[in-house]
Amino acid sequence: MISAVYPQTILALFSDSSDEAAFAPLMEGFSGVISIKNPAEQKLFVTEITSLCIEPLLVIISSRLYPEARPETVSAVRNIFPQAEILLVTLDSDPVPPLEQLAVDRVRHLLVSPADENREGISSLQEAIIKLLMKSPWKLLDCVKPGTRVHEIRLNSSEEKETLILMLENVITGDSPEMEFLRQRAALLADEMVENALYGAPRDAEGRKLYSKGQFRVMKENEIIHFRFAFDGETLAMEITDGWGTLVPEMVIDYLARNQDHMAGESGDTGGRGLFIIWKFLDHLHVNIRPGMQTVLGGQIKADVSLDCEAPKGFTISTNYL
Amino acid sequence: MDNSFKISVSNINNSDYIELHSNIDASAEKQLQKLPYMVKNKVVRFDFSKAGRINSMGIALLLRCFRQIREEKDAEIFLKDLNTTNAMLFKMTGVFLLASHEK
Repeated sequence: MISAVYPQTILALFSDSSDEAAFAPLMEGFSGVISIKNPAEQKLFVTEITSLCIEPLLVIISSRLYPEARPETVSAVRNIFPQAEILLVTLDSDPVPPLEQLAVDRVRHLLVSPADENREGISSLQEAIIKLLMKSPWKLLDCVKPGTRVHEIRLNSSEEKETLILMLENVITGDSPEMEFLRQRAALLADEMVENALYGAPRDAEGRKLYSKGQFRVMKENEIIHFRFAFDGETLAMEITDGWGTLVPEMVIDYLARNQDHMAGESGDTGGRGLFIIWKFLDHLHVNIRPGMQTVLGGQIKADVSLDCEAPKGFTISTNYL
Repeated sequence: MDNSFKISVSNINNSDYIELHSNIDASAEKQLQKLPYMVKNKVVRFDFSKAGRINSMGIALLLRCFRQIREEKDAEIFLKDLNTTNAMLFKMTGVFLLASHEK
């Protein structure tokens, strides 16, 4: 069914047959998948890819291959297929690849759980493939049950942050430990998202921040900060949109990498710790940037008490110049 | 209801007992800056049972405060009554490298 709708060619690069086999069930349904396993020599690897004479729209690379075994893979693929989207995939049972290399190569990273299927039985990998083929960014409503109400708040001043958080907390009803934990995380995520839009996003032409954290401020007439959320009883999806578009993909990955190693220091303003917290608490972080125009940051969390903050997390950062 | 950040300090069994009230964010800066100067003992216990949300700015301020207490007062720091989210937050941001979680 998926192949009929998305017949485009996908190139998948794996480290070996067992790697390929592990991902096979998660990629079921796409007919145009061509797989290559890591040959002994780098020269042969490039030759093998070019000899296929294909023009894939998407290249999927296993983290068992890149960056550890073949650090040059992404740059080689970009040289051969400059138009293709590249997606690095890691099984959640595997070690997380070093973020520094991902930052250098500006590669999307998806963490995949074999048991992770949505209501239609589509795996997170299949869903990511479809979105990349369609060049469609993450959407809040994709994460919650059909018919779930979306709450939207336009922020007029920094003082409205607490009102917004209270609204969010009130939508998550119930006294169970799961719901209490979800309320706590939701409030923290909303706090960080709003702070990022209020104080992190506004920058002058040289990239310097215009406002300090905690400073009272009223939105300018043409300044937009929209916070949206939807809760279907199990999943809470949240997103914030600012009209600055000042976030840079390299900056995002650098923030995540530095904070992962506790190297952000004690400055709350410059270390990107807020973004790191958002990433660690969300199931998957989505950032869509239209440079100079808009940044949309969002993701979803589930009502679940067994959340492991040490568990690896994925992210998708896309830049849209249109 | 007053939701502003507050600190109360007392002396219990030769240790400083510090209760933090309400959310910890940028508004807590002045009080957390003064806090290390109020420490009198070599053991400092922070009670988070009345603390609310702690955002990234609050984490930055706590890290600075704890580091100062350790370096300038040579004191050991214990944190108690953290809720699940704050305990996870402290773990992922390195707060527990400076202070022990007393469960």
